Amino acid sequence: MYYVKTLTYVFHVIFHPFDGFWDLKKEKRGSLAAAFTFVFLTIATLTIEKQNTGFLFNPNRLQDLNVVVDIVTVLLLYVLWVVANWCLTSLMDGEGTMKDIAMATGYAIFPVILIRLPMVLMSHAITMDEGSFYHVFMAVSYIWAGFLLFCSTMITHQYSIGKTLVTIVLTIVGMAIIMFIGLLFFSVIQQMLGFGTTIYTELRFR
Amino acid sequence: MAGKRVMKTIRAAACAVAAFTLTAAAMSPCMVYADVPYDTYSYNYWGDDVLQPHAYLYTETLTSASFGTALTYPEDLFIHEDLLYVADTGNSRILKMDSEGTISMEITFARDESDLLNGPKGVYVTEEGHIYVADSGNERIVEFDEDGEFLREIKRPETDLITESQKFVPTKVVVDNAGRIYAICYGINMGLVEFDRHGEFQGFMGATEVSVSPFEYMWKNYFSTEAQQERMETIVPTEYSNIFVDQENFIYATINNLASEDYASGADTIRRLNPTGTDVLRRLGNYPINGDLYSADEDAKWSSFCDVASTEYGCYFILDSAGGKIFAYDYDGNSLFIFGQNGSREGNTQKPVSLGLSGDESQIYVLDNLQGSILKFEITAYGQHVLDALALNNIGDSEGSYAEWQEVLKQNANNELAYVGIGKIALAEGEYKEAMNCFELGNSKKYYNKAFYYYRKELMESGFGKLMAAVGGVVLLVLVIRWAKKLKRWAGEVRCTMSRH
Repeated sequence: MYYVKTLTYVFHVIFHPFDGFWDLKKEKRGSLAAAFTFVFLTIATLTIEKQNTGFLFNPNRLQDLNVVVDIVTVLLLYVLWVVANWCLTSLMDGEGTMKDIAMATGYAIFPVILIRLPMVLMSHAITMDEGSFYHVFMAVSYIWAGFLLFCSTMITHQYSIGKTLVTIVLTIVGMAIIMFIGLLFFSVIQQMLGFGTTIYTELRFR
Repeated sequence: MAGKRVMKTIRAAACAVAAFTLTAAAMSPCMVYADVPYDTYSYNYWGDDVLQPHAYLYTETLTSASFGTALTYPEDLFIHEDLLYVADTGNSRILKMDSEGTISMEITFARDESDLLNGPKGVYVTEEGHIYVADSGNERIVEFDEDGEFLREIKRPETDLITESQKFVPTKVVVDNAGRIYAICYGINMGLVEFDRHGEFQGFMGATEVSVSPFEYMWKNYFSTEAQQERMETIVPTEYSNIFVDQENFIYATINNLASEDYASGADTIRRLNPTGTDVLRRLGNYPINGDLYSADEDAKWSSFCDVASTEYGCYFILDSAGGKIFAYDYDGNSLFIFGQNGSREGNTQKPVSLGLSGDESQIYVLDNLQGSILKFEITAYGQHVLDALALNNIGDSEGSYAEWQEVLKQNANNELAYVGIGKIALAEGEYKEAMNCFELGNSKKYYNKAFYYYRKELMESGFGKLMAAVGGVVLLVLVIRWAKKLKRWAGEVRCTMSRH
């Protein structure tokens, strides 16, 4: 029951972000399980949107649809954001723990699900001339989620507005750095494995 | 990337098998071709090159054996009433032959034997059979009558618009119904040189526009050193490579000497000029009319258009000298089919320079400059259905067009154009649901939108509106009840506070 309560609490958070994110952390009104549910639902939304949006508003090719790509995209961005944000804020006197950040971020992306899922249905009922409504709603979902992400950072870490903005920019830079190092690591390991296998084959044929 | 290529090849191979069996079935038993030396394909909505049944099949090559004389680097081919006129440039003569290559007339001189033609690069025949020759080496345009008798010559125009140092070398010539003469002249990039029916110089027409990006402009004028500037190409308008007058008296003009980045950015490589020189070519297809969208061949990265011929209902065939391909487009600029190939097999071209359509579009003739030969391609049943469907649609025979598109789909279920064609007819007949279905298969969002609009309207009018009104009513009722409850509670509170005082 606690889980369901934390789930429905999201409606309070998205409409009253300052209150909501505060209580999420201090009053234990949210749960990590709920946050993960929202991340999962975001993945599902993305996939459903690509697959089921009406012909007029769907630029995706069904043959090229790949659920794995959607999963990796969302999960990677989520994990990177949480990790980079945590790394930075622990240096910049942030008050949030990693759990707090993971939770708040999960709640913050809920507008994407809330708006885009119904828009899939909507896209079957409108013509291209009415398409501006569709595109406005799609944009709103991102702007809303972005605003919530901003609020969540500000409140979880008890920052001022300026510091929050700086943190967000640095977090994005941090995400890029992590990605870069990850790729570097990946390529080094690949080289090492290649080296190992070459030696192995060399020895075998000797 | 490699994986995608492989997948494409596999898909292509599967299609090729299907296409081959289909064309084989469509042909009569006496015309059996072991192998066709090229693929026929077109680009779909997603930009994939999808193989199709062959629309035109190579039949034979007319060589010196058929002519009885050898052609040396011929440059131009024109077809008039199913007779072929060839500008045999290397031998300085104009040949007239039938479709089997039997020569019936040879023009080697203008007025008399001392006034020889010199490397003519272009030939055109008017409705009444007068032959216009771009006598490039002699810097003139010559008109002959239908028997090859000299009528007149048009020399370099007396004008300041062409600078003294600029030679007047006509390479291609056409004449429209009003008798106006248009010529492409070597080195003149201000457009086509236009003469009136009396051979008086009128000016230039249809100059290609020069576009310079702001970045390029600043770099060239302010930031580059003199040494760099010297090595830079000067920005000049491009010349046309070939011209063709269509049924409506408009001029198709091809362009082939563009820079790679211009091709990549989708610059014009073909235009349809109206008599004032404005480009009126319809570009409603999914992709620019630039030939191949991509090519694995590094040497022939972009198609190089060297000639064009159109049918009387606006389809046109463009010849590409880089890949030896013929691109067929419909009036709206949709890619119909692409076939032909440069190569060394029989039925391949080596350096195609000119193409001609027979009057009923059943034959395509391609002049090969290197081989000095003429390749003949004959339409298949599939190609005929596609062209017929477009022709019937053009004259407003929607029933006939519908039947033809159905035939096309029987042979090629991947033909998006056929779905759109059928969809349009369904839309006109008020079969909105079917139209939507067709447009979705044909990937036409524009027409789907139209069909959907009417479909939705129909749905609304047929009771769906009432249903929605009922739902709305229920929602309204619930809201009113809740509001009433709230009001009651508020009233109670007010009463409480009142009584307390």
